[in-house]
Amino acid sequence: MKSYTLYSCLFLASTFVLINAQSYEDKRCKCICPSISSVLNNTEFKNHTSRIMYVTNVPPNQCNCDGVILPRIGADIGSREQEFCPRCVCKYENRNTTIIKVVVIIVIWVISILVIYMAFLIILDPLLNKKIKGNYQEHTNEDDEISAGPMSHNMSVRGNVLNRVGHQQDKWKRQVKEQRKNIYDRHTMLN
Amino acid sequence: METFPLRRSANTSPESPTYQSMTKKNTNNGSRATFVSSPDEDMIDIQTSRPAGGGDLHRTTRLGDDEDDGITHFVVDSVAYSGTQESGDIPGIGQYDDFHTIDWQRDIARDRMRHRYIVKKKQDSLWNLIEGAHDAWSGWLCVLLVGLFTGAIAGVIDIGASWMTDLKFGICPQAFWLNQEQCCWSSNETSFEGGNCSQWVTWPQLLGHSRTGAGAYVISYLFYIIWALLFAALSASLVRMFAPYACGSGIPEIKTILSGFIIRGYLGKWTLIIKCVGLILSVSAGLSLGKEGPMVHIACAIGNILSYLFPKYGRNEAKKREILSASAAAGVSVAFGAPIGGVLFSLEEVSYYFPLKTLWRSFFCALIAAFILRSINPFGNEHSVLFFVEYNKPWIFFELIPFIGLGIIGGLIATVFIKANLYWCKYRKSSKLGQYPVTEVLVVTVVTALIAYPNPYTRMNTSQLIYLLFSQCGISNSDDMCDYKRNFTTVKPVIEFAPAGPGVHRAVWLLILALILKLIMTIFTFGMKVPCGLFIPSLCLGAIVGRIVGIGMETLAFHYPQIWLFSGECSTADDCITPGLYAMVGAAAVLGGVTRMTVSLVVIMFELTGGVRYIVPLMAAAMASKWVGDALGRQGIYDAHIALNGYPFLDSKDEFQHTSLAADVMQPKRNETLSVLTQDSMTVDDVEQLLKETEHNGYPVVVSRESQYLVGFVVRRDLNLAIANARRMVDGICGQSLVLFTAGNAPQTLGPPPLKLKKILDMAPITITDQTPMETVVDMFRKLGLRQTLVTHNGRLLGVITKKDVLRHIKQMDNEDPNSVLFN
Repeated sequence: MKSYTLYSCLFLASTFVLINAQSYEDKRCKCICPSISSVLNNTEFKNHTSRIMYVTNVPPNQCNCDGVILPRIGADIGSREQEFCPRCVCKYENRNTTIIKVVVIIVIWVISILVIYMAFLIILDPLLNKKIKGNYQEHTNEDDEISAGPMSHNMSVRGNVLNRVGHQQDKWKRQVKEQRKNIYDRHTMLN
Repeated sequence: METFPLRRSANTSPESPTYQSMTKKNTNNGSRATFVSSPDEDMIDIQTSRPAGGGDLHRTTRLGDDEDDGITHFVVDSVAYSGTQESGDIPGIGQYDDFHTIDWQRDIARDRMRHRYIVKKKQDSLWNLIEGAHDAWSGWLCVLLVGLFTGAIAGVIDIGASWMTDLKFGICPQAFWLNQEQCCWSSNETSFEGGNCSQWVTWPQLLGHSRTGAGAYVISYLFYIIWALLFAALSASLVRMFAPYACGSGIPEIKTILSGFIIRGYLGKWTLIIKCVGLILSVSAGLSLGKEGPMVHIACAIGNILSYLFPKYGRNEAKKREILSASAAAGVSVAFGAPIGGVLFSLEEVSYYFPLKTLWRSFFCALIAAFILRSINPFGNEHSVLFFVEYNKPWIFFELIPFIGLGIIGGLIATVFIKANLYWCKYRKSSKLGQYPVTEVLVVTVVTALIAYPNPYTRMNTSQLIYLLFSQCGISNSDDMCDYKRNFTTVKPVIEFAPAGPGVHRAVWLLILALILKLIMTIFTFGMKVPCGLFIPSLCLGAIVGRIVGIGMETLAFHYPQIWLFSGECSTADDCITPGLYAMVGAAAVLGGVTRMTVSLVVIMFELTGGVRYIVPLMAAAMASKWVGDALGRQGIYDAHIALNGYPFLDSKDEFQHTSLAADVMQPKRNETLSVLTQDSMTVDDVEQLLKETEHNGYPVVVSRESQYLVGFVVRRDLNLAIANARRMVDGICGQSLVLFTAGNAPQTLGPPPLKLKKILDMAPITITDQTPMETVVDMFRKLGLRQTLVTHNGRLLGVITKKDVLRHIKQMDNEDPNSVLFN
């Protein structure tokens, strides 16, 4: 339990640090045009695939050729803006980097917790179980589990949370074992 | 108090006419005749009539008047039966065991009783009124929550998968949580080289190499393979460790579950978590799989978990399936950003029982889910899928011929895929290969990564490739595929007709290679023990074929504009042939061939493209593909997988075309005896002996073994629970106690007190006669959702037909191995 609180503290701390670290823009106006040479007709025609891209942060109503392109290259193309502008594509887009950040961090945390738990179950659990088995022999008898379930539930004291968690974990482990047998050994499902 | 409204409703049960006619004959039952003839009568009548009925019953039993007795029993007890259903004294009654079929009739009757009870109590107090209101809107509330959670989780998966996919290529050091596109999102660099920018650092750059060059290529290649291996290994081992049920696409199983089958844990918490995480990992590993199919499974798991908040749905398996149907719609809705397509998918493909109420709820659920995902805006393109394209180009009438041609090609590819995949899955099931699930995943990953990296079209994310293939060549598209020899001297912003440049030829060759690779790899990938869907790979296959055909048509139209076909529309030199549209039609064709969807597929595709203009081409292709697919192989991939696994799925689309009778199918066969219980002459020991010796899931109860007149049906699980419960709770129950399925008091004997089990007895089992044609029986199983039906002859019980018997019979008639039906 202690390790979990530690992890969550770390998690919160790292989240706050990262949020303050760097802020990317959440809005942009992106314009793509062919190279200027296509209207000027003075250079070789080979380079027809080259494009110019402009990304600026302007209000949506100014996200067009007049608002973005002409202030920059108006001088270069001279009076041919009437030909050049229709070939440009301008798009106003927005995103939310905070959501992306939070989601990616959550995903990383979930994956690492699962991997740690998996490592724990593979490496440490067999060792721990050996000790416990020696002490509590009666718990290993799984046949009486179902009939004894409600009874022990009634009798259990509230303070016995840890035991109940362990009980749930055992139940879950048995279910997973059953699923594994169905799928990986007997091949009766999900082939 | 509780039994009162319930009992009243039983009067309107369909059995009452029989009862009425019978009681008219039976003159000594006057009091009950009145009670039935006025079904809306008050409670007092019923109560007064009941002891009288019980007394009658008892007398007639002792008189040995079997014939009348059997029938009166049936009705009187069905009244009480319905009443006691809900009360559930014994814990666990009305639930089902793992891998069992549910009894829709029983569950729906139970819900009706519960509903009646709540409506009746409404007038009692304000609290009850609130309770009633809560009950009434809990269905809508539940699907609202399902929609919210599904949308949110889909957003997490989309963002996580796109970030992790780009992790194979490099990282954004200033903000590691951004993928390549988002990293370069606000960079103002005028160069336009494959979306690269200085903020995005590739792995060779990070190690101090240059961005290009042979050394950098090798390092990138290595990193690509290592990351892919890591992700795939994680995915496979997480699935194996925590939730083996999370593997595969899940749609065959969801179909089976919705048809009324219990798979415990299949829609549980761990399956949900591991499926989400495993899906992100396996998509990022670059395997040839998609996240759209598993999204249906994820949504259904959310629906199942949330339904436990509402006892109305959580405790009633038949009602729960209404929520699950709505969840499936939400799953497709978020997978494709197509809410209506999702509802139709649920209706056409997965759902079994789909009343109008569920349709509206699915609609609402899909709407909410799509709205949430759209407001998360996972791809930054204002849509909930990466490959959304907006089209507004006309198509010419003549193009229907290539579209139908694409449909035929799509059907062929789909058939090849289904056959090969099924063969491979059968091989995996029966050979040693099945013992190495994780190794298999790793090998397939390495092979995929090795072959995929050199080809830029397979190296990129499959969704991105689909987007590229769908989109039309414009100024913003600088891919090889759009390398046309265009001149930019005209003022028009539209892309004019132009000859294909060398880049297009190169692209076509690469696309053909990509097609072959994707087809082969998908065959081996689908069915591996990681979460994997099939929609994206099949859309991709179709899109590649479509794009190639489209480019071919375009070239043809450019070089031979004088052919009469092109002469009309193509003379204006623009808007003639759009290869992207062909890609879309091809994608629909292959997906239609693989899954055999029609209506929902077309709707999904046109919601993807935002244009109703292409409905006719899509319909033509989907139809042609379905015909070709049906002609070459009977089943779609999901039905084929259901058959492979032997799930007890009674397809409502198939027709039963044989002339067998119920007597041919029923159990027991000749020379075997039917195991039955008698209503009042067996001891607890006898019953337990029977339970030990036989493995049936239910037993008919008869008046006596000699007469075999039917009383009712009792389920094995309930019987076990009731006996165990009685031994614990009731004093004096021992092996010699009589087991009574009758009403009223037991005869005063000297022995131990009797065990009354009338509560668990189903007094209204569906019965047929032995001469009923199987066609009718199969129809009853499908439409009523039966679990078993009892066969009678001259009114005497003859045998039982279970769903498993029906499925075995169908298999036998189709010359397949009947033993492949595994579960009961």
